[in-house]
Amino acid sequence: MKVGEPEKFIVKGKRLDGRKLDELREIKIEAGILKRADGSAYVEWGGNKVMAACYGPREVHPRHLARSDKAILRCTYNMAPFSVSDRKRPGPDRRSREISKVTREALEPVVFTNLFPRTAIDVFIEVLQANAGTRCTGIAAASVALADAGIPMRDLVPSCAAGKVGGEIVLDLFDVEDNFGEADLPVAMIPRKNEITLLQMDGNLTQEEFEKALKLAMEGCIKVYELQKEALRRKYGGA
Amino acid sequence: MVLPGELIAEGEYKLGEGVFREQGKIYSSVMGLVDEKKGYLRVIPLTGKYIPKVEDFVVGKIEDAQFSHWEVNINSAYSAILNASDYFREIDIFQTALAKILAPGDLIFAIVREITPTKKVYVTMADKMARSLKGGRLLKISPTKVPRVIGKNSSMISMIKKETKCDILVGQNGRIWLNGEAERINLAVKAIELIEREAHTAGLTKRVEDLLTVR
Repeated sequence: MKVGEPEKFIVKGKRLDGRKLDELREIKIEAGILKRADGSAYVEWGGNKVMAACYGPREVHPRHLARSDKAILRCTYNMAPFSVSDRKRPGPDRRSREISKVTREALEPVVFTNLFPRTAIDVFIEVLQANAGTRCTGIAAASVALADAGIPMRDLVPSCAAGKVGGEIVLDLFDVEDNFGEADLPVAMIPRKNEITLLQMDGNLTQEEFEKALKLAMEGCIKVYELQKEALRRKYGGA
Repeated sequence: MVLPGELIAEGEYKLGEGVFREQGKIYSSVMGLVDEKKGYLRVIPLTGKYIPKVEDFVVGKIEDAQFSHWEVNINSAYSAILNASDYFREIDIFQTALAKILAPGDLIFAIVREITPTKKVYVTMADKMARSLKGGRLLKISPTKVPRVIGKNSSMISMIKKETKCDILVGQNGRIWLNGEAERINLAVKAIELIEREAHTAGLTKRVEDLLTVR
């Protein structure tokens, strides 16, 4: 047993932080909080605090990256040095490059890039505090930031993870569950079409477990989707 | 108000900006307000950058002067081109360097003449309203708020012009150029800032009028 590993993950049907197996952490989304960016969002998701900013469509630098038939979408995921308990060495690393890539691939299918040839749409995701599930938090925030920037999209992209801890399939792992659990399955989707744009898995699941976890994560996504829409409506006083 | 991906309508419509059709259904692609007129459906965006449209008036800033054209920043993802032949009087480009007529940093009020499929934007000064702008002050607002600053049949901007006696040119790209007495410009700027801040509220004209006529 490793240091910090709990003896039991689930006691009397409740998880270590008091949640039920299919319960999300508390999520707070705010749209349009940065004045200098074209669009922005701030998301607090349990212990995660993530800021996303979006710029564009704008001129592409360096020029050779520009595509003559569509806009390019660039995503940058970055963790602040103080976002984790051991100071994170600043700067891009293998992990953040991977997350930047999967974030871009999760968002690209919904953005009408064909409307803005020769331009770039830049999305920056800054993790201020991490508590497991930052890539999902980041995608959810980025999607709201894109909408806030007025970028034409087919839909918002909510994101949520499911996983396996203590032999049970649970929704939205927090850090202890993520570190010592058996599997983590982040999912992002296009709710309107029921299509998946991000699917990763860390750990092992049987096929039945996988299907159960995927279904659970997609239900979580729908809840996040409602919160995203609510945040945008709140910002723009929408009826 | 609608959000990206929200179902707006089904059936036969001509589609404008901010909407798209998928399997016979029409959805919004941006956050905005639905506008339907005579079978023409669009969503007026609440946020976003300026996207050039033909016949838009824009306040442009000269970026660079080439041999036969200027490059103009129009506060958009695309910079525009002003050909020497689109300048309001004839220029012999073999005799005169274009930088002597309009230097980088100069402002112009121009009209968008053409946008090619690859999104090259051409502006022209061949219009009664178009001119180069000397002196004055430049104000930037969100391009989505420009229609409110202009008002119905330019009622709002006419009122501001009349009350402040300023020369005001509003570009669709969110840049507004003002010229006049410093005090009066300040007042006009205050009025425009008020419009931008409270663009989506009722009774705006009255409040702007109050602001302008008090004192």
